[in-house]
Amino acid sequence: MASETPLSHQLFLRMAAEAGLDIQSPHMDDLYAYTSGVLDGLRPLQNLDVNGAEPDMAFRPSPE
Amino acid sequence: MDATELCYASAGTLSRLVQQKELSPVEIIDAHLARIEATEPVLNSYITVLPEEARAAARRAESEIQRGDYRGPLHGIPVALKDLYNTAGVRTTSGSRIFDNFIPERDCTVAGRFRQAGAILLGKLNMHQFAYGPTGENPDYGHMHNPWDPEMVSGGSSGGSGSAAAAGQCTITTGSDTGGSIRIPAALCGIVGLKPTYGLVSRHGLTPLSWSLDHPGPMVRTVEDAALTMNAIAGHDPNDVASANIAVPDYTAALTGDIRGLRIGFPREYFDAPLDPEVAQAVHDALALMESMGAVVSEVSLPMFQDSHTISTAILMAEASAHFRDLLASDGDKIYGPVRLRLEAGLFISSADYLRAQQGRSVFNRQVRELLEQVDLLAGPTEPVTAPRLLAETVQAGEREVPTVPALTQYTRSYNVTGSPAISIPCGFSSAEMPIGLQLAGRPFDEVTVLRAAHAYEQATDWHTRRPPI
Repeated sequence: MASETPLSHQLFLRMAAEAGLDIQSPHMDDLYAYTSGVLDGLRPLQNLDVNGAEPDMAFRPSPE
Repeated sequence: MDATELCYASAGTLSRLVQQKELSPVEIIDAHLARIEATEPVLNSYITVLPEEARAAARRAESEIQRGDYRGPLHGIPVALKDLYNTAGVRTTSGSRIFDNFIPERDCTVAGRFRQAGAILLGKLNMHQFAYGPTGENPDYGHMHNPWDPEMVSGGSSGGSGSAAAAGQCTITTGSDTGGSIRIPAALCGIVGLKPTYGLVSRHGLTPLSWSLDHPGPMVRTVEDAALTMNAIAGHDPNDVASANIAVPDYTAALTGDIRGLRIGFPREYFDAPLDPEVAQAVHDALALMESMGAVVSEVSLPMFQDSHTISTAILMAEASAHFRDLLASDGDKIYGPVRLRLEAGLFISSADYLRAQQGRSVFNRQVRELLEQVDLLAGPTEPVTAPRLLAETVQAGEREVPTVPALTQYTRSYNVTGSPAISIPCGFSSAEMPIGLQLAGRPFDEVTVLRAAHAYEQATDWHTRRPPI
């Protein structure tokens, strides 16, 4: 979700419901603000030069 | 040796006396239980203390040693485990009342290896809830306090391990490190914390936070004790899919005191980040001392240092939320507010961003690998500041006031991304008498070089011999 457009409140609530969260909870306002901040903070991922790099999913760093 | 000296003696010292039958494990355990009773009301390092079980185990160890069945350097030595290490028959809470009554049937691999080595389990240590935070906050079992100043945090997430080791409440403690949770409390409490290479110490039977970033490891008062602990707990475990099947050396053999010719690089980017000048000075002094001992110290560049934080955040938050998703749905309102927020926010990280972060991880790993062809170790501060005040939302790092949580992880989390071994050792004290940590990181599976350098520096200084006022 760290795309060019910020996470809309409507989309946030839809995703929260799909994830099993109680969207009627007053806690949702805090979560929306916090989540928006986190996703903003991830925007630099889009600027990384990862051309040709495969995701490093291997769990084991190889011994030297 | 009086009771206080027993509590501050290293495992190396105690084991030599135990082996020679000059000291009984019963005396060691009694001294530690008394120390816990005296200091626990202030520190709150433990969630569970096991006095009867520990005394019984000490009596058994004493008998075994008396009849010549000495198992090795950890026989009769007290150990306490962060309360996310499963222990057979002993509750394991992960720092949450949700698991107040969870009693595992089996030991995690590390606990089993300690038992095999004859170590005596004193108890289970307090921690930031679900290991998800660097400050040692826990409303369910009480916040942890720093032995050097109880108004300050012990660090997290292995905060109980840091305070217990620093205050002589236990000889060997363990932590787990996903973004710095071994090294942060080690630095803030003035002890030694080693995050081994990913895959070297088994994660089997530990509550996960982030599968690809979690590292179990020792938190102790001396580098020798870190090496002794690694000798007992490192090595292949078929129960852990990430466990590396490689030969484990005798880590104590690395402790030669000789660092002549060792190439140590300090990334210039570390010193551009928010940093308390007293910490910067202590680290520069440490590097100068190592240079005077024959190391070749040079400035290097780690251009993706800041990027590694973003990469770590995306991976950690996505993986933690995946693990705790069901718990959030069933018991979210019982989770500590800031931890709950982090867990829930991770649900909104897209698979595309998670995979882009893993691509970034590949690029960052390559950069660090190339750097570690030019030098043998990367050095810098473990923490940009000394221990912050409990529940402080910001800290002052030099001229900059910065949020506490990202500040405390700024130098540590890069090495969770790479999986490299990294150690924090004491390298000074601030004008307020709070400990400062030096971080040394090496090549994957080259703990020998990390420990050798840390030990040589430790032996040339007396920071590790200082005791907190408690």
